[in-house]
Amino acid sequence: MDIRQSEKRRRFLTLGLVCLVLAALLLPFLPQVIWSFSHRWLFPSLLPTEWGLRGWSYVFSPGARLGRAIITSLTISATVSLLSILVGLPAGRALGLYRFRGKTLVQFLILSPAIVPAFAAAMGIHIQFIRYGLADTFFGVVLVQLIPTLPYVVLILGGVFSSYRIEVEEEARTLGANQLKVLWYVTLPSILPGVIVAGLFAFMISWGQYLLTLLIGGGQVLTLPILLLNFVNSGDYTLASVLSLILIIPSGTILWYTSRYLTREGTALGGFGKL
Amino acid sequence: MKAVSMANRAAALLMLIFFSACAPPPAVSTQVASPAEPAAALEQSPAGAVTAPGFEGKAWADIVAEARGQTVNFYMWGGSDTTNTWVTEYAAAELKKQYGINLNMVPVTDIVDTVNKVLGEKQAGRDANGSVDLIWINGENFRTMRQADLLYGPWAQVLPNSIYVSSDDPSVAYDFGTAVDGYESPYGKAQFVMVYDSAKAPVPPASIAELLAWAKANPGKFTYAAPPDFTGSVFVRHVCYSATGGYEQFLGEFDPELFSEKFPDCWKTLNEVEPYLWREGKTYPENRTRMQDLFANGEVYFDMTYNPSEASSLIAQGKYPKSARTFVFKDGTIANTHYLAIPFNSSNKAGALVVANFMLSPEAQYSKAQPANWGDMTALDPALLPSEWQTRFAELDLGEATLSSEVLAAHRLPELQADWLVSIEEAWEANVLHGQ
Repeated sequence: MDIRQSEKRRRFLTLGLVCLVLAALLLPFLPQVIWSFSHRWLFPSLLPTEWGLRGWSYVFSPGARLGRAIITSLTISATVSLLSILVGLPAGRALGLYRFRGKTLVQFLILSPAIVPAFAAAMGIHIQFIRYGLADTFFGVVLVQLIPTLPYVVLILGGVFSSYRIEVEEEARTLGANQLKVLWYVTLPSILPGVIVAGLFAFMISWGQYLLTLLIGGGQVLTLPILLLNFVNSGDYTLASVLSLILIIPSGTILWYTSRYLTREGTALGGFGKL
Repeated sequence: MKAVSMANRAAALLMLIFFSACAPPPAVSTQVASPAEPAAALEQSPAGAVTAPGFEGKAWADIVAEARGQTVNFYMWGGSDTTNTWVTEYAAAELKKQYGINLNMVPVTDIVDTVNKVLGEKQAGRDANGSVDLIWINGENFRTMRQADLLYGPWAQVLPNSIYVSSDDPSVAYDFGTAVDGYESPYGKAQFVMVYDSAKAPVPPASIAELLAWAKANPGKFTYAAPPDFTGSVFVRHVCYSATGGYEQFLGEFDPELFSEKFPDCWKTLNEVEPYLWREGKTYPENRTRMQDLFANGEVYFDMTYNPSEASSLIAQGKYPKSARTFVFKDGTIANTHYLAIPFNSSNKAGALVVANFMLSPEAQYSKAQPANWGDMTALDPALLPSEWQTRFAELDLGEATLSSEVLAAHRLPELQADWLVSIEEAWEANVLHGQ
């Protein structure tokens, strides 16, 4: 009896905690949802006195170019996460598996963009990008966004490789697998959850970039945050709320599905390795 | 060893991606289907106009022909859905239809970023193929660009529609005290008006002095947005014009001695009224939108705006009470013009010229002036227009709360040069916001 009751209480507590966490995560979005449908909402009314669809009908009008901005944002973030994985894999492997002279320095240098605001370096990069013709281009924006994403990707992949047993690769080689087969059948499957987590991080960081995109893209590479900030700055909370809700949807969806995929595999935390 | 070979493979993959990304983008389809409308085909530069640099010996028709198929990157403040929609839907569609030009509106939160962008390109040595083709600008940003030699020109005189702009109107020829000299073409006009609720205060104050007296008699019912919000800033200038004995003495270059001699009177006036302002003047609304909310909510009895027909639009939208009306002071209110300019390194100058000319056309100006579309005052002088357009502009329903263009024109005061503005805004912060 006693045990069952304490079990019950434990379950109740867990449920309460989950609800609390969910509320802390979701409640901040409630005012935004209300704002997005408000037409007239003035102090001190608790709720809008008039509701309307001005915000939603504007963003879905062709002049708002929402579709274009979503596609641009998605392509940029996907490319950035792909590229940072490609660059981050060898770096993470080297940092996670090997000891070498100056490793701490390399680690520090790789992490430094996470400490120093990327914007500081980006001013100089902008001048160079103008010379190379990369300013105002899609690819220029992708390149500059690698600065804030790479530290996290390398950090995560370094963690993954530090708990990786390289002997397995050697065993496969002695059994006759060539390098490509080892990569495909041995290495990749065992680090895949970590790669996905790292890719997600890169995607999220890139998805929310405003300053770097504005500076290098010059406003011509029209991403969602660029559209959004125009209305945040002008104080149009209705439009700003609509756009920020839209900004959350794709990243939220991706996060949801990936975390489900990862937990089903039972490796959601395993992806982080020994961080 | 293995890490190295892996890195090699990654590098190869990277290269592959680089190259595939560098593949030429699909060609932009050039519009040839729709022939230019007769009106556009007949357009000519005004007789005797000096040709725009780079187009020597070419007629307007040649510029229009060269512009066809160009994409014009138009950088503008993008914080209003009404303004954005007018540009991306009306103007872009007409330009495509009439001239085969693709107008790419680039929204920015503050146009000074775009000025810095062009400056950055100049410093990087990008003297051609600049990213900005057309910029919506006035005041200190125009001055900065002129001083740093960032603008192409003079070109405004070659626009066929420039004949509708009054050449002796100082509010068009001088942009915040800086001579325009053909380096920008007018886009629209703004004039400061006060908004009041006729149901609550039947007789609006006739002057700044009366308004401030009213504020003292009705504590908590008046405020203004904190400068550098541009509406709050222009209100402070009105108070200073009134408190220092008139604007005429400040019309020239910035004079630090005159400034420190005269303006303390202005800060004194503002500080005297401060305790009677909304929330006892301990805080000020941060921007125009907050100010609108306060007025709409009845917390304050006066609002102020640079757009004379804005109150009518807000009544139509249901945001302002139907009894809201506008007024100007008997001594007049500050007016200015906003313009379009072309950066020195624009790669689509012909296209930019045609867009600027279209924006100045009676049809575009008329569409822009309609409160439902934008409600921006026209930069054209109605007296110079063909009679049919004169009638249309005269019959334009600007809304019940909008003053007639005659009343507005009779009460126009000039802007000061940009240096004055900056000094006034800084001194306001030091002496009024943080003062006492």
